[in-house]
Amino acid sequence: MHLYVLLPILAVMLLLQWRKVGMLVWLFVYWIGIFVILKYGFTTPVPQSVISLYMGIITFALIIYISWDKKRFRAVVDPLVAFMTRRRYTVPLVLVVVLIPSLVATSVYLSRTAPVQAPFFARTVHPATPASISAFSTDYDLATLDNPLRPLESDDPQAFARHVANGRAVYYENCHYCHGDDMTGNGQFAHGLNPIPTNFADSGTIAMLQESYLFWRIAKGAPGLPEEGGPWESAMPVWENFLTEEEIWEVVLFLYDFTDQRPRAREEVH
Amino acid sequence: MRKALLIASVAGWTIGWSAAQPQPDLGSEQQRAAGKILYDQYCSQCHGEKGDGLGVAAPYLKPKPRDFTRGKFKIRTTPTGAVPSHEDLKEIIRRGMPYTSMPDWPQFSDQELSNLAYYIKTFADDFEDPAAYGDSLQIPSPPSPSQESIDRGRQLYLNMGCVRCHGDVGRGDGSAAREQTDDWGYHLRPADMTKPWTFRGGNQREDVYRTFMTGLNGTPMPSYADESTLAPEDRWPLVDYVFSLSESPEPNYASLLKAVPAQGPIDSEGGLEQFETAPLARFPLVGQIVERGRNFYPAVVDVEVKAIYNNEDIAFLVEWNDVFAETQGSNDPSLAVPAWDPEAEDKFELLKPPAASASPSASDDPFADAEAADPFADQQQAADPFAEDQPTAATSSSVRATPYSDAVAIQFPQQIPSGNPKPYFVFGDAQKPVELWFTDLSNNIPQLYLGRGSVSLNPSDSGEPYEVKSSFDQGRWSVFFKRKRTSRRSISFQEGGFVPIAFSVWDGFNHERGNKRGLTSWFSLYLEPSQKPSVIAPMVQNGLTILVLQVLIIFGVRRKFAQRTEE
Ligand code: HEC
Ligand code: HEC
Ligand code: HEC
Repeated sequence: MHLYVLLPILAVMLLLQWRKVGMLVWLFVYWIGIFVILKYGFTTPVPQSVISLYMGIITFALIIYISWDKKRFRAVVDPLVAFMTRRRYTVPLVLVVVLIPSLVATSVYLSRTAPVQAPFFARTVHPATPASISAFSTDYDLATLDNPLRPLESDDPQAFARHVANGRAVYYENCHYCHGDDMTGNGQFAHGLNPIPTNFADSGTIAMLQESYLFWRIAKGAPGLPEEGGPWESAMPVWENFLTEEEIWEVVLFLYDFTDQRPRAREEVH
Repeated sequence: MRKALLIASVAGWTIGWSAAQPQPDLGSEQQRAAGKILYDQYCSQCHGEKGDGLGVAAPYLKPKPRDFTRGKFKIRTTPTGAVPSHEDLKEIIRRGMPYTSMPDWPQFSDQELSNLAYYIKTFADDFEDPAAYGDSLQIPSPPSPSQESIDRGRQLYLNMGCVRCHGDVGRGDGSAAREQTDDWGYHLRPADMTKPWTFRGGNQREDVYRTFMTGLNGTPMPSYADESTLAPEDRWPLVDYVFSLSESPEPNYASLLKAVPAQGPIDSEGGLEQFETAPLARFPLVGQIVERGRNFYPAVVDVEVKAIYNNEDIAFLVEWNDVFAETQGSNDPSLAVPAWDPEAEDKFELLKPPAASASPSASDDPFADAEAADPFADQQQAADPFAEDQPTAATSSSVRATPYSDAVAIQFPQQIPSGNPKPYFVFGDAQKPVELWFTDLSNNIPQLYLGRGSVSLNPSDSGEPYEVKSSFDQGRWSVFFKRKRTSRRSISFQEGGFVPIAFSVWDGFNHERGNKRGLTSWFSLYLEPSQKPSVIAPMVQNGLTILVLQVLIIFGVRRKFAQRTEE
């Protein structure tokens, strides 16, 4: 996120909640503010098609919001009607009437002459897990699956350290080419992959996942993803082809150990 | 040997080299201990706990992680043969070595880098010997290049013998390129000057200046610091020439391949000129390490592609740089590759026994425990029905022979996907197959393959036939593919349409065959319409529509609220 874009806009939005301004101004500021955040607020640019989609939804939501309440509706419509009917607004009205079509024409020009962009697929980075998977000729129920080595952390720290060390070997024989030596996702081959390999050091990845989720992703790789995850384009290999079940649990331990993070605890179902 | 070298060239070095450190700077006990903690956590998996380059990851890497016990470092400001300065070590750790597995470490503070450097120095005795040090090269600020200096540089490039290793136009394909090895005996490809972004020591003009002034220790890349060989005023011209061989210091990788309308009929005998108007798209290749038959160090790092079309045909020009055209032997995408075996790989990578000074003692034989290092060797071997298909290379000769030829394939989905789901990018899947327009460059026979996954790649004669023509010139393969643009048996290429496209390249010299290859992700092919539709018409149309709408609304509002206007 570009905070220098996000923070001023949020500040203005907050200010509007405090100070009384016309409904029309409020509407205008919110619409433009959200657009600017989507367009310029993100470090990796959001594709135009996604922005259009979101703005469509936002516009719809705003319209519903203002037409919900009579007073609010009037507060928006009255100034508009006044602008269109009062004589003293004639000059600005003519200006606006000319300006809007010229803006539309300009945007048509820009979009037609813009360099073509490859079709973009907005994949879901963390899709929901399947209920169960089968690997190593076993069926695993992902809702109840736990890392069998995790209890050693408190029960037998020495054995635990041995498993972490094995996980380290597994990682540096198999994973660093993509996920990087320091797990930031910038391995030697990362520049040739799309989507890019996950950055495990980022607190938004493995720290918010359960170990069973990682077991699924590692054992089943990209082809195991549901359609919204884009199983056809991710390079994440199917590790059940190369590793044993124990090795997968060991490398999971190592991912958390190296990045100093903890897996998300499973919510207790009552 | 090293000292003799040092003394011999001291006279020439006094100008332009800064004063030597009188006493080696080995840091304090605490600094080395702090360095060890970082090293064990971040470096030992490659460089080994004892600094011998034998970490767990090492059998899978090429170039090999540096063996610090030998005291030989490539990127230095110190004279050839000398150990690097403290700053040199910090700098190379910070920047890393591009296109190798040696990562950059921008996250370390100056202090941490310094501690790491102190710890690395404990592995080799040379760092304790004041005579092993040399003065650091002071690089003057570069003058701006001119045609004159580039021409002068070209002369030097030829006269000084750079051409012998790096090739006439710098593609790393010189006459001596095939037999270059590092001091450990591993084959080493001379740098490809047309891709400065792959330079281990950086892509700036100062970096190249430093490279040929100090040489890369442990490699055949020599030092040209001696003023009787290379006069000081000739150094920048040589740099200018090196950079004139590339279009840009950055790769500028593409994600879209634009096919443009051809000027006339497309002719497979028509030569490369037909592609002159087509924009170039450079796609990064990575090793196929997703499916069995993994390729951890592909020899080719990118393909450069152009495409043209007319009403009948579409044609692709796929080009890449290669040290040598392997046109003996054969290749095919479905060749079985035995399980990764570091020992076999190493035997094959080693062109000659390690240099005398670097000959490993029995105890640190790099291959002694290679078998144990592969946790799934048996697993794979058992699963591989063709396990006995071992490489038959004659490893005894100084230049390795290979039974595999160079080859290339363009990959398309068998059907253009209507929505998002595409075939799996690694050779398709059971539901959504891919087509591989394959050709073995030993015979140039176009052979279509149908891929339903990496274990199910089969020759097919049901698709639309295509033509192939290839040439190899000065370290560069140019392969021309041509096919009918529309087809009933296969995909059609529509004007204004997008088609997923991917590439595979096999370098026979690197023993690449079957699934052991370099490959790309899916990219997009776009056929730029031959008639550019006018922009004015839709502009006017849209503008007018909005204008009329506005006027209607305003009049409507005015009528309805007429009374209020009168107020
Ligand atoms: C060829 C490159 C490649 C290799 C090798 C590789 N990965 Fe991945 N991995 C990816 C890519 C790309 C993604 C992101 C796309 C996706 O989620 O599939 C990913 C995603 C993941 C995820 C999902 C993380 C999340 O936040 O959803 C895990 C866990 C993972 N990898 C673990 C591993 C482990 C463990 C290894 C080694 C045993 C490994 N990967 C080796 C490319 C690779
Ligand atoms: C994934 C493996 C890997 C890791 C991790 C790694 N290196 Fe390296 N390193 C290499 C390889 C491979 C080379 C040799 C590259 C070449 O010769 O072109 C190398 C070379 C070096 C060199 C020699 C540079 C020269 O000029 O010759 C130094 C110094 C170095 N590494 C330090 C480190 C330090 C310090 C760390 C940890 C912070 C580290 N490396 C982590 C793989 C690695
Ligand atoms: C005997 C063969 C040989 C000769 C002669 C030679 N080089 Fe090299 N050069 C190499 C090799 C091998 C490498 C690759 C080293 C590596 O990758 O570690 C290399 C690498 C380079 C690099 C890239 C360095 C980097 O940072 O990766 C440059 C620049 C270079 N050489 C310039 C020159 C110039 C200029 C000359 C002539 C003045 C020259 N070389 C002569 C063998 C040679």
